[in-house]
Amino acid sequence: MSLTRQGTCLSRSQFGVLYRHAVPMGTTAKEEMNKFWAKNNKLNRPMSPHVTVYKWSVPMMMSISHRGTGLGLSAGVSAFALLALVLPGSYPYYLDLIHSQSFGPALIGLAKFGIAFPLSYHTFNGIRHLCWDSGKGFKIPEVYGSGYTVIVLTVLTTIAAVAYKGAA
Amino acid sequence: STVLNSAVQVQCYCTCAVSCYLHLVRCSVTIKIALFHRSSLLLRPLGVQQKDQDRPYQLTARIHGSPSLYSGSGSKAASLHWTGERVVSVMLLALGPAAYYIPGPAIDYSLAAAITLHSHWGIGQVLTDYIHGESKIKVANACLFLLSTVTFAGLCYFNHNDVGICKAVALLWSK
Repeated sequence: MSLTRQGTCLSRSQFGVLYRHAVPMGTTAKEEMNKFWAKNNKLNRPMSPHVTVYKWSVPMMMSISHRGTGLGLSAGVSAFALLALVLPGSYPYYLDLIHSQSFGPALIGLAKFGIAFPLSYHTFNGIRHLCWDSGKGFKIPEVYGSGYTVIVLTVLTTIAAVAYKGAA
Repeated sequence: STVLNSAVQVQCYCTCAVSCYLHLVRCSVTIKIALFHRSSLLLRPLGVQQKDQDRPYQLTARIHGSPSLYSGSGSKAASLHWTGERVVSVMLLALGPAAYYIPGPAIDYSLAAAITLHSHWGIGQVLTDYIHGESKIKVANACLFLLSTVTFAGLCYFNHNDVGICKAVALLWSK
């Protein structure tokens, strides 16, 4: 980690010299966080409005959607796992059972969409997150650009996935 | 979430001791925090700029240093957890095409493990963000652990006793 001070580059070994007055804190970030919540709850303070008053932006919506799709996919996987443990029949049996109903193919199509859309969105946006983790793409035009790219890719992938019918 | 999850540029204004200079000197330090560096630095901006000179004491910058900056305390657990999350995410990205091109038990069980772990850690972050209070956090995390265990058990059972994840997806897409 390097510090720049008016053009001068200092290496980490000189860190102590610049911050000779620095005192490391005795608490962890987690402890500080808990102290914040304990104090504010004790004083019965109302939380200041944030999502209800702040103007929504595309990055904001994409961020919460990333979380939403993640939670939805997790719920789906857990539900599937639970059904696998509880239901007596086999998967091909239940799949054929649903398919043979009058609303069967529609339901299958819905299932394909229900998997493809959140999965592709979460995957593409996940890649965007990993780019951020590597330090790239934080300029505002880049944030919006990569965001729109994710949305377009998601739509295209979902259409392709729902339309695709493979051979068993 | 309060944990740094983005690269941040922080400007800190600190005042140097009057003994060094005749007037107050304001030094501005810009610190770029790169995510992939293990050391995490949280700077609290002092917020107060001394305008008058009759307070000759020094303001200290209170800093959360990473373990390498001061000896002894501090654990790398959070940092390692973060790295682990990214590693599992990348593995999951690789398992996608792998499941398509080389389906089979190896991919089935790898998927079961990677999906469960990724979900578990992801939901863990959601709980950390929205649930506060020591006992509530403990209960929530315990429930999550139970859910993840049952999920993994169910997926493994499905892989062992039924067609397996890859085949299940293929079958759904063949109808």
